[in-house]
Amino acid sequence: MGIKEEIKSVLREAEIYRTQGLFNEAMVKFKHASELIEKNVKPESGKQLVDGITKKIELLKQTIAKYNDPAKPPEMPVEIQNLIKAKFSFSTDKESAALEGAIALTKFGQYERAIKEFKDLLKMESFRLVAAKNIIRCYLASSLTEGAVSQYKEWMTLDIFTLGQLEKIRFFLENLLKEKGIKSELPAVKEEKAVLKEDVAAKKVPEKAKPAIKPLIEMPETAKEEEEFLDVSSVGIILQMEGKKLPEIILDVSFQSGNVVSLLVPIREKFLIANMKAGVKLNDVQFYSPIAILNGSGVVSSFSRIGSGPKMGSYSLDLKMFTN
Amino acid sequence: MAVFNLKNREIECKIVYYGPGRSGKTTNLEYIFKTYKKQVADQMVTIDTEGDRTLFFDFLPMGLGKIKGCDVKVQLYTVPGQVQYSSTRKLVLKGADGIVFVADSFTIRREKNILSLKDLDQNLKECGLNIFKIPLILQYNKRDVGGSIPIMSIEMMQNDLNKQLKVPFFPASALTGEGVGSSLKECMKLTLVHLQKEFKWAQ
Repeated sequence: MGIKEEIKSVLREAEIYRTQGLFNEAMVKFKHASELIEKNVKPESGKQLVDGITKKIELLKQTIAKYNDPAKPPEMPVEIQNLIKAKFSFSTDKESAALEGAIALTKFGQYERAIKEFKDLLKMESFRLVAAKNIIRCYLASSLTEGAVSQYKEWMTLDIFTLGQLEKIRFFLENLLKEKGIKSELPAVKEEKAVLKEDVAAKKVPEKAKPAIKPLIEMPETAKEEEEFLDVSSVGIILQMEGKKLPEIILDVSFQSGNVVSLLVPIREKFLIANMKAGVKLNDVQFYSPIAILNGSGVVSSFSRIGSGPKMGSYSLDLKMFTN
Repeated sequence: MAVFNLKNREIECKIVYYGPGRSGKTTNLEYIFKTYKKQVADQMVTIDTEGDRTLFFDFLPMGLGKIKGCDVKVQLYTVPGQVQYSSTRKLVLKGADGIVFVADSFTIRREKNILSLKDLDQNLKECGLNIFKIPLILQYNKRDVGGSIPIMSIEMMQNDLNKQLKVPFFPASALTGEGVGSSLKECMKLTLVHLQKEFKWAQ
């Protein structure tokens, strides 16, 4: 193949990659074509061609930069958000499904809608703390640090949370802000709650700033690890029979709250079912999360048969997780 | 995970189209939507960027009619192929009952295919699934482009991607539709057989 044909072939290839959306590959080929021209074609005839290729390469660089931009995903139309909520919640329990749907919205970057959903979930005692933490996360993910702080302050004036819950939320927010390198003096829970209530009612700033008051509950240093739990998508349980390890049983997590996961045990797992009840300790457990597979153990907090619905006959197992 | 309603004799299962970016996953679904309109239960949902890249996922619900007395519905999804959308891929993959892995036949994309298959393997493990056990077919797409630019031989792609898996494979061109229908049919067949064994729903 003569050099002219070779250059044409490389340019053709580059163009096909460009139209296919393979921009990095196109750029490589255009650069190769440019080098071939510079090496083999006289400058007076090759310069225009090289300039043309250089422009294409610049455009490709801009396009690549645009696609690699980690900007916040756009808020989708309501119908799409409803689809995300419906299709990415897997629990058969309506309320758990609502939580999963809200979390799915967060994972798809639909923070405004997710905040609305989580706020609805604040009404439910069992999900209140999880929902509150996710609301905080959504604000911070949307780069609305002030929004997160204002939300926490607003909650302090309302009677939604117990003092203990508020303190956990404060600790949670404080740690997230610290991770972002943001210093923020969050009001402590007990007496400030009363002060803030008056402020909101009177809409005025107190004349004297009261000295910082020790929180009612001292959160230990390790509380961060207790509060921050990995999303676990499935659990592997290894049982023993007569001293021999049995094959690992993998169970899907239908719901997770803190370090307690709810698992669905299919009816075929007869040996597991026969040996489960509240209080049983499982010493050999693997927790599969998006980040890592963790080894650990678990304690059964509840175990019951599903009496109705599509999973009737299967069992629901709540397991408190301990990682090594 | 398949939703199985014994009382109403209904099965709904999920098939995910996986593969590296720009391999033709969305084009597969677009072809299916256009060609199998009678089976399509609703509009295709596609969420993409200005440049036609899948941002979140595509979704296409289909009804397959009655099979062994059960009303079978299948939901097709694609994942975003670009590397930075890893967490979205994991979420879309959750609950998958069958997978069509769309590989790009361009020689220049060889490494991307292999990395994407490894990514699938890893994500399935995190979902508690096994790539050797889940219904899976391989589609070697863009076979129509050969001649203009270098494409890999089927033997090379088999060696790269299917040496250990040994699953059914289909050369295809999602643009012309060649191999698209057969890939989907085979994946659905494998998925339904797998679900039959899981739920014994035919009995």
